[in-house]
Amino acid sequence: MFQYDFMQHAFIAGTLVALMCGVIGVFVIARSLSFIAHTFSHIGFAGASFAVYVGMDPLGGLLLFTLLSALGIGQLGVKMFRRDASVSVVLSLFLGLGILFLSLSDKQANFTETILFGSVVGIDMQDVWQIVGLTAAVILILAAGYRWLKFDSFDQIGAEAAGLPIRWISIGFLLLMALAVSVTVQIVGALLVFALMTVPAAAARCFSQSIFGMIVISSILAVLGVWFGLSMSFYTNAPVSFFITSFEAAAYFIGIAYRYWLARRRVPGYQR
Amino acid sequence: MLRHIRVNDLQVSFNGEEILNHVSFDVAGGEMFAIIGPNGAGKSTLLKVILGLIKPLGGKVSFENDNRKTVIGYVPQSRTIDEETPILAKDFVSLGLPARAVPWLSARERVTVQKAMMMTECLHLADKPIGKLSGGERQRIFIAQAMVRQPDVLLLDESTANLDPNAQEQMMQLVQRLCRKHGITVIFISHDLHVVKEYADRVLFMSRGHYEIGNSDEVLNGKATEWLYHATDEEKPKTIGLFREPAGQLTDHLF
Repeated sequence: MFQYDFMQHAFIAGTLVALMCGVIGVFVIARSLSFIAHTFSHIGFAGASFAVYVGMDPLGGLLLFTLLSALGIGQLGVKMFRRDASVSVVLSLFLGLGILFLSLSDKQANFTETILFGSVVGIDMQDVWQIVGLTAAVILILAAGYRWLKFDSFDQIGAEAAGLPIRWISIGFLLLMALAVSVTVQIVGALLVFALMTVPAAAARCFSQSIFGMIVISSILAVLGVWFGLSMSFYTNAPVSFFITSFEAAAYFIGIAYRYWLARRRVPGYQR
Repeated sequence: MLRHIRVNDLQVSFNGEEILNHVSFDVAGGEMFAIIGPNGAGKSTLLKVILGLIKPLGGKVSFENDNRKTVIGYVPQSRTIDEETPILAKDFVSLGLPARAVPWLSARERVTVQKAMMMTECLHLADKPIGKLSGGERQRIFIAQAMVRQPDVLLLDESTANLDPNAQEQMMQLVQRLCRKHGITVIFISHDLHVVKEYADRVLFMSRGHYEIGNSDEVLNGKATEWLYHATDEEKPKTIGLFREPAGQLTDHLF
């Protein structure tokens, strides 16, 4: 399958996006932001639709809408957006906006499918370079701010007590999430972004007791899931996203079973 | 070495409600200093002002230190750690290190973490996940995290709350060793009068805008403390306080 340029591009882009999601996902889970990640993908859908409507590059629209939303959520406070009602309202509003922009433009059918479900086969070399640049930026910023982010994500009271600027860390992380979502939407689509951004990290939590271990396992699971999805999709013609989510879900359930088995082994008579 | 902390005429209000009303006192370097008082008296707020997390409306806190800027370690109250938190005790302690823009720890930083864990007698817990530790063990880890910055002052906000008497005793003995052996000034909040009596050199009593300092016998044997902690709500007077008479004697004032 590697004789085809589109598969080479898909593997390069998919691997990078998976690595990024594997790393950032650990913090998304620790900060309980899974549904904000999901909301970002719908905001991104509206942004991409808007871009198409006004004749911009869809990635530009994705970035514009998600980054502005990250700033807005950061200013208003993440707690408010963790509430079910707030997430439902914002998510539906932007989904509606996306549909409105699509109905006003003339590229409806093709584009809707691409942005909602992703299109790995349509990635050209220019897209790959865009993804390389954005992924590298996200991973470098995460590496530089790793200690602050780790402190704030796993011991927020302690971080505040130590005088860390927790509000700015929160806004900075939301902006990084917005960037990551914008890149990932192009591979797995708006509907499944949060699968790649949260399930590998949730599964990794079952296998590791350290943050670094979680990051490594989460990245490996995300990359393996994307490779599995691309390969299976190439040979079966079924959607890539289906195979990716199936792989990650299987990893998560195996992780749960592993943790259950460990607990039973440690405590005789353990029942759950 | 820290000579003393001077709290001078502090005033703090939130939403128009006065929390601290012209509080002034000194804490000597190397002293074990307790703060007691009912809920809502402003004890935690006072610690946060000393720490610099809350800016007072008036007054100031100053530190007289011989050779360096005063470093403060703080162990906040109500810190909940989920049982599944994927973080080893040593990694949790290392969170307290001054942050650098590199993800890994240097050899020197690892040694600092190890030293802090040795001082707080929890090195044997280093490779255990923090979520799996008992309440007393977690408190040691929290103190170790505050100790990695090699503080001159340690502020403990109800660190022994929710511990069984045995764990409470062990915790306070550890804090006392840190104070006596390493010269760290300790300011702690507690509702446990036994702990205060046993370990505090001096006590600050706070209640509805009234403040008084004395040695633990003076403050704890007064009627105000008895009312504060032992009387039922019906029996309690509206306001209770301790005042120092011109002769130097502490007396109770019940209104």
